[in-house]
Amino acid sequence: MSDLRIPFIKRGKKINVYINDRKTLAYEGETVHAVLLASGYRVLRKTEKMNQLRGIFCGMGICYECLVSINDKPYQRACMRQVERNMKIDIHDILGP
Amino acid sequence: MKSKYHIIIIGCGFAGLAAADILTRYDLDILIIDENPRLGGQLLRKISTLKQTKKKFELDPIKKIGFELARSIAGQNIDILYTTQVLGLFPDHRILMVDHSEKIVECQGDFIICATGAREKYLPFKGWTIPGVMSTGAAQILMKSSGILPAKTTLVGGTGPLQLALAASILQNRGRVSAVLDQQNFKDKFDIFNLWRHNVPRIIEGAIYLSRLFLQGTPIKQRTGIVEAIGRNQLEEVVTAQLDNQGGVIQGTERIYNTQALAIGYGFTPNIELPVQAGCDIKFDKKKGGWIVCVNGDTMETSLSAFFAVGEITGIAGAKKSYIEGRIAAWSILNQMGLVNGSKNKANLRLLYFQRQHQIEYGAFLNAMCNVSDSAYQSIDGDTIICRCEEITMGDIRKTITDGFLTVNSIKKTTRCGMGLCQGRICGPVLFDILSAITHEHPGQIGEPSVRSPIKTVPLGAFLRANNKNEMK
Repeated sequence: MSDLRIPFIKRGKKINVYINDRKTLAYEGETVHAVLLASGYRVLRKTEKMNQLRGIFCGMGICYECLVSINDKPYQRACMRQVERNMKIDIHDILGP
Repeated sequence: MKSKYHIIIIGCGFAGLAAADILTRYDLDILIIDENPRLGGQLLRKISTLKQTKKKFELDPIKKIGFELARSIAGQNIDILYTTQVLGLFPDHRILMVDHSEKIVECQGDFIICATGAREKYLPFKGWTIPGVMSTGAAQILMKSSGILPAKTTLVGGTGPLQLALAASILQNRGRVSAVLDQQNFKDKFDIFNLWRHNVPRIIEGAIYLSRLFLQGTPIKQRTGIVEAIGRNQLEEVVTAQLDNQGGVIQGTERIYNTQALAIGYGFTPNIELPVQAGCDIKFDKKKGGWIVCVNGDTMETSLSAFFAVGEITGIAGAKKSYIEGRIAAWSILNQMGLVNGSKNKANLRLLYFQRQHQIEYGAFLNAMCNVSDSAYQSIDGDTIICRCEEITMGDIRKTITDGFLTVNSIKKTTRCGMGLCQGRICGPVLFDILSAITHEHPGQIGEPSVRSPIKTVPLGAFLRANNKNEMK
């Protein structure tokens, strides 16, 4: 369990998700972007023009910076979805935790 | 799901919930649309599986009311579309939207209540696009919705009361805060002191946050701004500096913080995209947070008939004003439908009207606390990205202004600033403030926001699928 998870909070059921095919522990009720952060993935994509790296920014579905692929559907906002059992999350561009 | 409803509520934060609470007591067809997977908006978030073990003392019961409303409305026998984006409003109150499965959906409402809330505003600095730099809202949401800290140690900067609240809740969740930086200083705040009487509980809340920070030894730095965020792949260092009384950097006062997370926020701006696309009148009012939707304060009806605007989109002022306005809109609609007794309703509305005025005053105080000086916008470094989506720099903007483009729309067309994925939701207000700081022109001169449908990005496939289905019929 990552140490970014606040220790005294009672969480949902333990589930597995697959981040770039790597089996990763998550809890029901957590959002995709939070699971990515807790698992060490701070970099979520590369910009097209300048190849800049981007991660979580607004956290509420406005900025479109946290786009990842969810269950093979590309360009999904990670902050607007909750994780589900065996969800397949792919960071397109790069860089593991 | 029906094709026609008596009332459609778009956005179900505090304002939408307040309206729904009253309207659901009557036998009406109601549809609620929200882009989140749950009701409650930005304020009413908590980890869905969290069971409150001990009763928490609440200074201000408004949040408790909100959570109860969210629970009761979600359990009602009405139609709710979660994770659904509205793409536009068309004549006869027809609404086009895309649902959670990327399917295009259309429906129509006799009355529309638009309660689309607000988002944060920013003062860009070099490196604000680096992963690890996030909004104060994002940091707060990570903790509240998922129980996850933004980093082991977080630096908090910007303006406004949210900085203190965020720092206090990071500490409460056993994270560390390296410092709280405030772009303004106590003296600036003193000037708006006379507005404090409008919200005493909020001030006590602020004092509690302050004392919590004090007990943990967290430094609070007044009149300190962020110069640059640095990191190769992700945030590593943040350079800060003291500011002079114009908001400019005092050379030689720079300081470096090592941190993986920097949370920033510089106040709020209303999400007026849908009302603008629909054709509602808007106006600029700095005290209310920027461009707002014009409403009749007695009814909350906009310049479009049977289209109501409630909550932050009529002026930033927080949960209480949203709660009051949602109720005003609901009673007005019931009145127009002839479902309530006229004189009793009048008394109801009159009381709410006065409560609303009080909250508007509080909003003026809130927005003044978040104010960023003109010189801070004027002195943004040329390499700083302004439009994060299209990667347009301050240098590009400055050059375009020098070339004689002096309105938001002409700069947008010349540089593509604001034409990316977020459709100018992040950089639009920034560009407006930059132009205003440089040209000192009247807001109307700089340019009203212009919005066309679809107001949010939608995959082309969604439209293609919608078409195919029609052919099959």
